Amino acid sequence: MKTIKQISIFLENRKGSLDKILSVLSNQEIELQAASVADTKEYGLLRLITSDQTRALQLLNDNGFLVNLNEVMAVTIPGDIASFASVVSSLTANDVTINYLYTFSKDGKLVLILKTDNMEKAESVIESQGLELVQGWE
Amino acid sequence: MERKFWEEEIETMPRKQLEKLQAERLRKTVEIAMGSKFYAPIFKERGITPENIKSIGDIRRFPFTTKNDLRSNYPFGLASVPLQKVVRLHSSSGTTGNPTVVLHSKKDIDEWANAMARSMYAIGLRDTDIIQNTSGYGMFTGGLGIQYAAERLGALTVPAAAGNSLRQFKFIQDFGTTALHCIPSYATRLATIFKEQGVDPRDTTVTRMIIGAEPHSEAQRKRIEEIWGCKAYNNFGMSEMCGPGVAIECEEQNGMHIWEDNYIVEIVDPVTLEPVPDGELGELVLTTLNREAMPLFRYRTRDLTRFLPGDCPCGRTHRRLQRFQGRSDDMMIVRGVNIFPIQIEKILMQFSELASDFLIILETSDDNDNMTVQVELAKATDDFQLLENLKREITHRLKDEILMTPKVQLVGKGVIPQSDGKAVRVKDLRNNH
Repeated sequence: MKTIKQISIFLENRKGSLDKILSVLSNQEIELQAASVADTKEYGLLRLITSDQTRALQLLNDNGFLVNLNEVMAVTIPGDIASFASVVSSLTANDVTINYLYTFSKDGKLVLILKTDNMEKAESVIESQGLELVQGWE
Repeated sequence: MERKFWEEEIETMPRKQLEKLQAERLRKTVEIAMGSKFYAPIFKERGITPENIKSIGDIRRFPFTTKNDLRSNYPFGLASVPLQKVVRLHSSSGTTGNPTVVLHSKKDIDEWANAMARSMYAIGLRDTDIIQNTSGYGMFTGGLGIQYAAERLGALTVPAAAGNSLRQFKFIQDFGTTALHCIPSYATRLATIFKEQGVDPRDTTVTRMIIGAEPHSEAQRKRIEEIWGCKAYNNFGMSEMCGPGVAIECEEQNGMHIWEDNYIVEIVDPVTLEPVPDGELGELVLTTLNREAMPLFRYRTRDLTRFLPGDCPCGRTHRRLQRFQGRSDDMMIVRGVNIFPIQIEKILMQFSELASDFLIILETSDDNDNMTVQVELAKATDDFQLLENLKREITHRLKDEILMTPKVQLVGKGVIPQSDGKAVRVKDLRNNH
């Protein structure tokens, strides 16, 4: 499967908790590529994609954070909403449920980070759209 | 062949004979306590004399003694001998009033060391062991009490004392420590230090651990045994009785043998103070039978336990107490329901997703008691659904146990406050408390 590694970090809903996590990764020559915060009333998850996931994971772990390394899909699409909608509707049409997604812009294009309930099927659906799954950035 | 017991005759004494010995020692103790300003008038009023003690059943004629009696007679009001005969005192911290002082004669120190040495022998410790004691050496009995006992046993004893985990880490490895004495929460904390230093605690020479002085569940013991790759034995002591050495689990690890040659053991209903039927939960009440500087009669320990039925395969005839189920005075009354923190701990320990720390927070809102249980996650996930399901399942299982629905809050590492000694389990912020 063509996936990329994502780090998910348990986040307290309290002042300064995001700050603490980020300061651990600062000045470590680790490039941040994408990040997202999702939350419930009481806690959240910070999801990170960096240039050196192994070291980022180690640093966070050593500093007492609750971390989880997992796989997500990244797909580059043109930056218009119609293209975005087309990915989503083709997944839906094929009964693939999107658990979550977040996006970022890169070189005038949009990158979708996706977690679905059926990653293999999602991969073939996306590829059948003529889109390419990213397996990392320089 | 190596002998199986420290003191075979006493440890395996038939019950009838043991009770006879107890009655004799009770008589002797009354004789000694006639010298106490506190007990002498009580004996007089109740007509208690050494001569009219016929059996241990006579214990019902004595009133209960409480920690409050010790506080209000601070510091020497309960001495039964002239201070000239007293060689040491130990004391509690006294954060809520006068501290409690416990006096020891030379013989008391000697008997105490022997009782704890007997306890150590019962868990398989020998004079070939290297015992490292992580208790504070000061007014707390866990320091000197263990030191004297381990020396009595003949073991090489390392008085490492409390704290300084990196030094404990170094000593264990440099000296080849085979046994540790520590409070359960420290066993866990020290294991973390080992892991941080890149050493698996299971690779150390530690094969046995004496744990006590802090309530803990069976699951917590199992977790300690697993992370250390050793056996951990529950040890009971309290400074009012001497210190460590009152009761200990034998190698069967099924209940703590309480040394009945040293104590008359009763279990009573904490409200009515009547003895509970054999095998039922109640408050442990102890009468010292082998102490002279400050004997205590029917001392209310506040610890909740029960006698375990049947004989122990180890051959000891001294009865076994179940692991303590809480304290009669840290019972919380929440919306009229009696709840003990250990009930909550017992449930939380069943979840491998959780680490061992938790905090119960009680608050008032709309004139109602509300309970929040903060639980520490052991590992993260990328899946909110899993976390929400976990929360729901914990809430559900807690409700079955305590008959009310607490709010369960998942927290990360290091959020729950750690006091230096015993773990803080309850924070009561209710208006009327």
